[in-house]
Amino acid sequence: MPIFLLLILLFFSSITSAALSVEEIVQRANKTIYYQGQDGRAQVKMTITDSQGRERSRRLTILRLDESKSDAIEDGAYESGQKFYVYFQRPADVNKMAFLVWKHLDKEDDRWLYLPALDLVKRIAATDKRTSFVGSDFFYEDVSGRRLNEDTHELLETTKNYYIIKNTPKNPASVEFDYYKMYIHKTSFIPVQVEYFDKKGTKYREAKALAIDTIQGFPTVTKASMENLRTGSKTIMAYRKVEYNVGLDDTLFTERFLRKAPKKKLR
Amino acid sequence: MSQDKNNVLIQYSVNHPKVISWAMGLSTLLLIALAVLPSLWPATFNALNPLAVDTDPENMLAEDAPVRVFHNEMKRTFSLSDMVVVGVVNEAHPNGVFNPESLQRVYELTEFAKTLTWPDPENPGKQGGVIEVDMLAPSTVDNMEQGGPGIVNFSWLMAKPPTTEAEALAIRDQALRIPLLKDTLVSNDGKALALYLPLTEKHYSYDVREALLGKIASWPASKDQFHITGLPVAEDTFGVEMFIQMAISAPLAMLVIFLLLWFFFKKLLLVVSPMIVAMVCSLSAMGALIISGNTVHIMSSMIPIFIMPIAVLDAIHILSDFFDEYPKHQNRRKAILVVMRHLYKPMLFTTLTTMAGFASLALTPIPPVQVFGLFISLGVFLAWFWTITFIPAFIMLMPEEKLADFGHKVKAGSNEQTTTPMSRLLNGIGQQTYRHARLVLMSTAAAVFVAVYGISQININDNPIKWFDSEHPIRVADKVLNEHFGGTYMAYLELEPGQTNGDENIAPLLIKRLAEQQTIAIENEIENANIVFNTVRQRIEQSQKNNRSALLKSTQSFVETELDKARDDTYDAWDAVMIFLDEERQRDEIFKQPEALNYMVQLQDYLASLEVVGKSNSVADIVKTVHRELLSGNESQFRIPDSANAVAQTLVTYQNSHRPHDLWHFVTPDYRKAVVMVQLTSGDNQDMAAVAQALDRYISENPPPFALKPQWFGLTYINVIWQDEMVAGMAKAFAGSFVIVMLMMIFLFRSILWGVLAMVPLTVTVGLIYGVIGIIGKDYDMPVAVLSALSLGLAIDYAIHFLARARQIVEKMGNWRDSISPMFAEPARAITRNAIVVGVGFLPLLAAPLVPYQTVGVFIASILILAGVASLLILPAMITVMEKRLFRARK
Repeated sequence: MPIFLLLILLFFSSITSAALSVEEIVQRANKTIYYQGQDGRAQVKMTITDSQGRERSRRLTILRLDESKSDAIEDGAYESGQKFYVYFQRPADVNKMAFLVWKHLDKEDDRWLYLPALDLVKRIAATDKRTSFVGSDFFYEDVSGRRLNEDTHELLETTKNYYIIKNTPKNPASVEFDYYKMYIHKTSFIPVQVEYFDKKGTKYREAKALAIDTIQGFPTVTKASMENLRTGSKTIMAYRKVEYNVGLDDTLFTERFLRKAPKKKLR
Repeated sequence: MSQDKNNVLIQYSVNHPKVISWAMGLSTLLLIALAVLPSLWPATFNALNPLAVDTDPENMLAEDAPVRVFHNEMKRTFSLSDMVVVGVVNEAHPNGVFNPESLQRVYELTEFAKTLTWPDPENPGKQGGVIEVDMLAPSTVDNMEQGGPGIVNFSWLMAKPPTTEAEALAIRDQALRIPLLKDTLVSNDGKALALYLPLTEKHYSYDVREALLGKIASWPASKDQFHITGLPVAEDTFGVEMFIQMAISAPLAMLVIFLLLWFFFKKLLLVVSPMIVAMVCSLSAMGALIISGNTVHIMSSMIPIFIMPIAVLDAIHILSDFFDEYPKHQNRRKAILVVMRHLYKPMLFTTLTTMAGFASLALTPIPPVQVFGLFISLGVFLAWFWTITFIPAFIMLMPEEKLADFGHKVKAGSNEQTTTPMSRLLNGIGQQTYRHARLVLMSTAAAVFVAVYGISQININDNPIKWFDSEHPIRVADKVLNEHFGGTYMAYLELEPGQTNGDENIAPLLIKRLAEQQTIAIENEIENANIVFNTVRQRIEQSQKNNRSALLKSTQSFVETELDKARDDTYDAWDAVMIFLDEERQRDEIFKQPEALNYMVQLQDYLASLEVVGKSNSVADIVKTVHRELLSGNESQFRIPDSANAVAQTLVTYQNSHRPHDLWHFVTPDYRKAVVMVQLTSGDNQDMAAVAQALDRYISENPPPFALKPQWFGLTYINVIWQDEMVAGMAKAFAGSFVIVMLMMIFLFRSILWGVLAMVPLTVTVGLIYGVIGIIGKDYDMPVAVLSALSLGLAIDYAIHFLARARQIVEKMGNWRDSISPMFAEPARAITRNAIVVGVGFLPLLAAPLVPYQTVGVFIASILILAGVASLLILPAMITVMEKRLFRARK
């Protein structure tokens, strides 16, 4: 791990915590990554580099709104229904393309897709969320979060800085991994590294937090990578203009706004 | 003609037989040791080259051959791998394999195949074997279908094995709706499945196949048939069988030769000597091959089989003559010296001509053929050297009393020529050639006429899969899979633009288009559009960059910076400029342009109309399929959308899948290069060549947009290239060696007439052999091409021996009429024995499981027998007719 990252993490180490249960640790980590603030907005520059060093980049804006009305961990703010609006800016030929996701805790997510060049809004029924997010190495589930109750969590080790947690799926047939390991920073609760293992125990996929900033008091990953060790492809997502508690309106996250993007909210 | 004194080498051998024997034994042992030691203990003897086997047909071309360089570059560019193909067929169930039980097994086999990886010794920490992410199986590919009004469904084609017949059929029907899968994963008749297992390196294919066979064998018997094939499997199997071949067929041939020699010469001890020479020469040549770092290839594995007959040829002449001379002298020393005087010169020349024939293969552009020719040449030289030294030495080392009853018995009072059936027959033939010389020559002319017709019918073609016997599991799998699917032979057609997109004078053009966008921006009431667009225009005007991509890049990075710091009231304007510039950049992404994709569609439709093309896959098929499913799902929407943006958005949707990387097997991420994967039902070179020609015609009649340039790659195409080079190269090599051999004959006989005469039986033999090949429709393939050199080298031998002896005997007898009887005694017997021993000796090769060896067996036998017959009939008939002219100078 880069030194600067350690220094930033040490800053957060000032807050010491009493012994937490494994459930409490994963809840806090989940909140840090997916549920900070009531809503959020970020511009993303996504760079996909394949094993031959060929690069492609995309620019998009992500808007998020939580259903939970409180941001306190005690109120269960670490997991709730959520809505996402993903708007493409570049490359030019996918400009104005948009996704809308309604994430539910009790049923399959609802997903819509808007393709401006075909003047088409389409509902997507996907049987699982472990598919590529717009051709990158990230999965939909990496962007929107995986339900905590889909895995059993086990605290493997507590090191000076990290909780190392092993997550095993309750329904192994529904996922491609055998288990995954998270290295959760003890004070910021940012999972700085996530490693996925297959049935043979080989690591085949790896996520890393490459840069962390404190934004509006929230420790925020501003640069993250996901590498597919099998294909040698790697995606870096760099977040800019990250903002929490923007005051996004629920009506933005509707089919109607797919065709007519809320431009001002996306700048 | 005959020498009064023997060559020093022969005298030395006769005087020092033990030294010669030791020298031969030690030199051979040294060569073997140098080859064997590094093969067994590579670490200890790391300065030496170990045995290396090469079964890769690609190596028929040099590694730097342009077609191979391009092939490897494209394999990298499109991340294409060699694949093991598992065909699953069920002939018993009405729905074929689309029933719950069979699909359960397919699912299990797929899961099992995913685990077939091993630590890669060349990349520590990495795994080698099956590439899971690129596997094609029902449970590893995505399905996209209508899920009700306005809903599109993305899922695995077979997330888990079906439990009912209906579910099984649904999987089939769904796959048949997806062009990429139809006829590739699921057979067109909806009965069979094929799994494709790409490998990190093709040498894993053997382990993968064994593991799969083990897994299949662990199941209780069922009606499911599993056929495992694919090029890497074929190559590995070929390598294994090549060694079986060398270990069994070659020694078997040797045994037959040995038994025939024993039958002819009766003395077991004596006939051991040619076998020793043959063994020594084969081992030495193979040893030298390994020591020099050359690989044992399909061609070089045949070196021993070629050297053996040639090595015994000379020894048979010596023994045959010795057989006849010994009874006259009853002294082995005298007898052998007489024999060697007779034979030294013809043997030297037959050796030189044979060497020339094989060395001419070095003129072909096919490296394995070059190596093959040169090392046989070496073996032939060794055979000559050890024959003229070791055979006399061996005879000298035999106790005289062991030879007591040796030789051609001449019973008192009986005619010398009639003691054995062969002698009687040969003598009779000799007399007939004198009496009916003109008839013989007319028949020869008729044979030549047939030969010319036959050669005109020759069909040049090869197919490495057909190197296996038709009963071989690989051939059976090949046949079954090509019956069910769109073809297992892959040919790849790469397309890229032949021109760059207007590099010159880009700035004025860009400014013009920017102005158009500015107008649109103002119409759309984008705030501050004028100010922002003008800033950018000035920026472009001042730029020194005249290169399109450099200008775009520098302008884009300027606008990007401005956009990042833009206030709310200029953001939209900067964003509009940014999108304009990016659109400009994307003009280069030609495989997003409907024009390019529609051309590909037409091209593929045309290819599909060709008989041998089963189907083809390309990025156009992906676009059409996704477009159809995004819209109504109706066939009317199975088309390329009208704008590049629509194509791009279709492809992003496609990539929201489990396998986003699949796209990059068809197009590069910059959308500048694309590949059409063509499945052929035949791997015959002539079929591939016909497809390539048809495509060229199509392209010239239908000029492509963006000056798209097509270029083939893939092994099926590489085979065509090396075959073309082989045919042209062999013709050149044959013509070259024909001229060299004729010059040598003219030199040997000091006469143009005699030199040309010597070439007649050879020309007739080769002509007839190739004529027959043309008439019976056997393809002119790799072994057939190579055999022309062998036929040249061997067929001339008999003529040299016949003519050399004819001159010696006519000199003694005074005329040809009286020379017929002595000519058709020992000299004719030697030729006949030779033809029979070596010809019959090669028939065991017919039992070989590999077709090239069978071809070689039939060929050597036919060449030797035909050349023997041609020499014994045509030459005496021609001498009879031209006696005056041939012997005029002498009288």
